[in-house]
Amino acid sequence: MGTVALPWPSRPFARLSARPERDRLASVADPDEELVRRVGQGDPAAIQAMVARKLPRMLALAQRMLGDPAEAEDVAQEALLRAWKQAPRWTPGKAKFDTWLHRVALNLCYDRLRRRREVPTEISPDRPDEGPAPDRGIMTAQLGAQVDRALVALPQRQREAIVLCHYQELTNIEAAGLMSVSIEALESLLSRGRRTLRQTLAHLAPGAEPAVEGARR
Amino acid sequence: MTREGMDETRIGELAAAYGGDVRRWPESVRDAARAWIETHPLEAGRALFDARQTDAALFASPNPAVSMDLRDRVLASALAANLKARAGWPSLRKLLWIGGASWAAAACAGVVYGANLGGHLAAQSQADAVLDQAMLSFDETEVLG
Repeated sequence: MGTVALPWPSRPFARLSARPERDRLASVADPDEELVRRVGQGDPAAIQAMVARKLPRMLALAQRMLGDPAEAEDVAQEALLRAWKQAPRWTPGKAKFDTWLHRVALNLCYDRLRRRREVPTEISPDRPDEGPAPDRGIMTAQLGAQVDRALVALPQRQREAIVLCHYQELTNIEAAGLMSVSIEALESLLSRGRRTLRQTLAHLAPGAEPAVEGARR
Repeated sequence: MTREGMDETRIGELAAAYGGDVRRWPESVRDAARAWIETHPLEAGRALFDARQTDAALFASPNPAVSMDLRDRVLASALAANLKARAGWPSLRKLLWIGGASWAAAACAGVVYGANLGGHLAAQSQADAVLDQAMLSFDETEVLG
């Protein structure tokens, strides 16, 4: 079997390229196949369509993995750059292009998360609090910000599982394959992550006592 | 356990992992789960309640918007990666391949034709040699008596 081009085989996450899960993805119909072929031929309309289709997905993935908008933009841009380089030599049928692109973006996120651990920073990636306001739009934004903070506070693997399954809407097989874990392990990570989120965000549930923002800090 | 191993515990496990919307569950369990939920609405409601609340919270997180600046940078990176339109013209590699294949086909045809021609000439030469030999033998007999 040929390789599903991993950008840097010598890195720790390169072991993902040798997973048996990849075989299960083989011969799966790829909705991006025709688009990738046209991108590889330099078709401008296909390039624009690929940007419209994949850039929001990669940005959302990186934003939720890293919790930092600027870093997320860098990761999304780099992932698409690698897609441009890969498209002309993409071999259909070995893996879904979207799954490959997720793997590239995840590896870029792992790199940045690892660097953060090596060089601790005092800057919090949290979004700033907008403060109390009666406006419904602002309240929705506040709610979203609280969820994002709770998500970023999860252990990395739990966050990754939730991001891939819930937000990126990958199948459990695809997500488990990307994370190099069994389906059972993925379900365990999902359950623990969602339980922690539910506890953290319990004050948002209908009928719950309103939380005093900042009390958790 | 009932059909396909579904019961309140398994439904609860699936909901805890994948959320309260069966459409987001693994395809392999969806039909069995739906059937169980339809026949056990009270137990299902209990098993799915927490998961649906967590789903609602997760959906409150908005997807980040792609800025025009980022979009332009990504499109520019496609140009930088040398992905340019080549519509209507085969690539250089393709042209080289076609040229090489044509040359190889011509060479093969030449070899086959040459082999056939050689065989034909050899056979002709052999026949001539036999005839010469026969003539020579006849002459010798006649001369020598």
